Amino acid sequence: MENIYKPYLAEITEIIDETPDTKTFKLRLKDAEVAKSFNFKAGQFAEYGVFGDGESTFCIASSPTRPDVIECSFKVYGKVTQALRRLNEGDTIGFRGPYGNWFPLEEQKGKNVLFIAGGIGLAPVRCVIDNVLDWRKDYKDITIVYGARSVSDLVYKYKLKEWQEMSDVKTVITVDPGGETDGWTGEVGFVPTVVEKLAPKAENTIAVICGPPVMIKFTIPVLKKLGFKDEDIFTTLENRMKCGLGKCGRCNIGNVYVCKDGPVFNYAQMKELPEEF
Amino acid sequence: MDEKIISKQNLVNFCKDIVANGHNLLAPGKTEYNLIQDPSEIVLDTKSKPTKASYKTFVFPKAEPILYYKRGKNDVVMLDAKVDEKKTVIFGAKPCDTNSFNILNKIFNWDYKDDFYNERVKNFIVIGLMCEYSDRYCFCTSVGSSPVSEKGSDLFLVPIDENNYAVRIVTDKGKEFIGAYSKYFTEGAPEKSKAAEEKVKQPEVAFDSKQVHEWLGKNFEHPKWDGVGDLCLSCAQCAFVCPVCHCFDLVDEDYSYTEGRRMKNWDGCQFGHFTLHASGHNPRDIQGKRYRQRINHKFKYYVDKFDEILCTGCGRCSRGCAVSIDIKEIVANCTD
Repeated sequence: MENIYKPYLAEITEIIDETPDTKTFKLRLKDAEVAKSFNFKAGQFAEYGVFGDGESTFCIASSPTRPDVIECSFKVYGKVTQALRRLNEGDTIGFRGPYGNWFPLEEQKGKNVLFIAGGIGLAPVRCVIDNVLDWRKDYKDITIVYGARSVSDLVYKYKLKEWQEMSDVKTVITVDPGGETDGWTGEVGFVPTVVEKLAPKAENTIAVICGPPVMIKFTIPVLKKLGFKDEDIFTTLENRMKCGLGKCGRCNIGNVYVCKDGPVFNYAQMKELPEEF
Repeated sequence: MDEKIISKQNLVNFCKDIVANGHNLLAPGKTEYNLIQDPSEIVLDTKSKPTKASYKTFVFPKAEPILYYKRGKNDVVMLDAKVDEKKTVIFGAKPCDTNSFNILNKIFNWDYKDDFYNERVKNFIVIGLMCEYSDRYCFCTSVGSSPVSEKGSDLFLVPIDENNYAVRIVTDKGKEFIGAYSKYFTEGAPEKSKAAEEKVKQPEVAFDSKQVHEWLGKNFEHPKWDGVGDLCLSCAQCAFVCPVCHCFDLVDEDYSYTEGRRMKNWDGCQFGHFTLHASGHNPRDIQGKRYRQRINHKFKYYVDKFDEILCTGCGRCSRGCAVSIDIKEIVANCTD
């Protein structure tokens, strides 16, 4: 019999402290056969488990175009993330995935891409950014807007620097008012305001947006005002999950199971759902 | 459909042989389904009240290990959890229980297949029994079933006189199973079982499930959800006694400093923590929203997704509710 709940074992090969409460793990699947055949698409997620403490759901933050390493980033909040924080390089965790659907990147070739992320919401977006950058010639203008509460809450600072240095990518980084430090050269302001000021053109553009619910709530009207179509605004829903397989019932909203029918939805699809996310 | 006849005495002999052959025999007792050692204890009564709990735990256990683990310094070793491969015969189940298989098969098999469930179902032989019990909580006829429905049964019993039962052979699995016990069965008389069946008083149809489905689609926001939510204790007994509620949790249970097991345990959408994010955000933060989810999941979402109503109309949830929330009444009022 096949056990769909059985994870792969993965070794933590590197730990990066992103912020005081956010970490990134680089992982290597221990079974060489599994590692060789493992593949996923941008936007998919996995269950990461500490044996004895349980599993937690995060997106795969690294890009499928860079398959040598699996990365995940998490903010320390609950029981499992606290257990993950206590682990060291060389330790073993459980990994189940990839699960769920993905961003339709193949279908969007030839378009401009606008990325908008807030806080740890950059993790699922980063996967798409790296994927699109690796297919750079297939897309037109690429714009990244990223915001966090304060300078110390910005994740992936090494990535931000890399993107800022690219001549064919426009990267705008902002912190909430009061979150700036002396010498901060980025923007100061909430993400929706910064997007409004930047006024990216909506024509032939898709927007990929991820962040705290409040950021999404106020950014979508801005995008609508700029003329973005519902079908061209994509996000990932973050309902609580356990199985990731469309069985345990936890992530069910309306007629969808976020873990199976999502986590990626466009705004037209989201509008069809009851507001339970 | 082939039909046989078995006498009451031979039914006991049949059951004795089932036990003697090393199979599990499961039959409804006063409060729950029990594993039977002595078949003469079985009371086959079409007029009995449904047990408090369905036999769900025998196909989808309340708590079951899905793997075992041992932690080393940096490493972990996983060991497989096994499912009991013994054949299990469910004897005398009511149609509102046997119907659960068709419904549960959908969720446990769309895309990913849950073999913990499938392996058990594969080893089950379901012998259903016509039902002549009906109280104010019963509503099988409102969810597309009936007291004489053979859905989910491999064999179906209909009492035809004081001493004999008609045995309808519903599936090939059922046919094959009784092959080994053919000495207890005689040729059937379908007209007799049909006559017996027609005499059964069917519960009144309380609602039109299609209309309810339509109403739910239009009334996600409605004052009734908060109304019933204020009554509800969020205890989730309704989910635990339900033959088809299937929400579960995955939790690790250490039993030493280095060893433990990962468990798949029943859970319920009526608990506040069910959808609670680690951040404190909860999409269904009040009971009204959770009750709305229960009704919508059963009578709308599951229908849209799997073309089955997530309810067998057994009435257990209402019979057992500490604050008398009656699902039949609530659903019957989901209409303009």
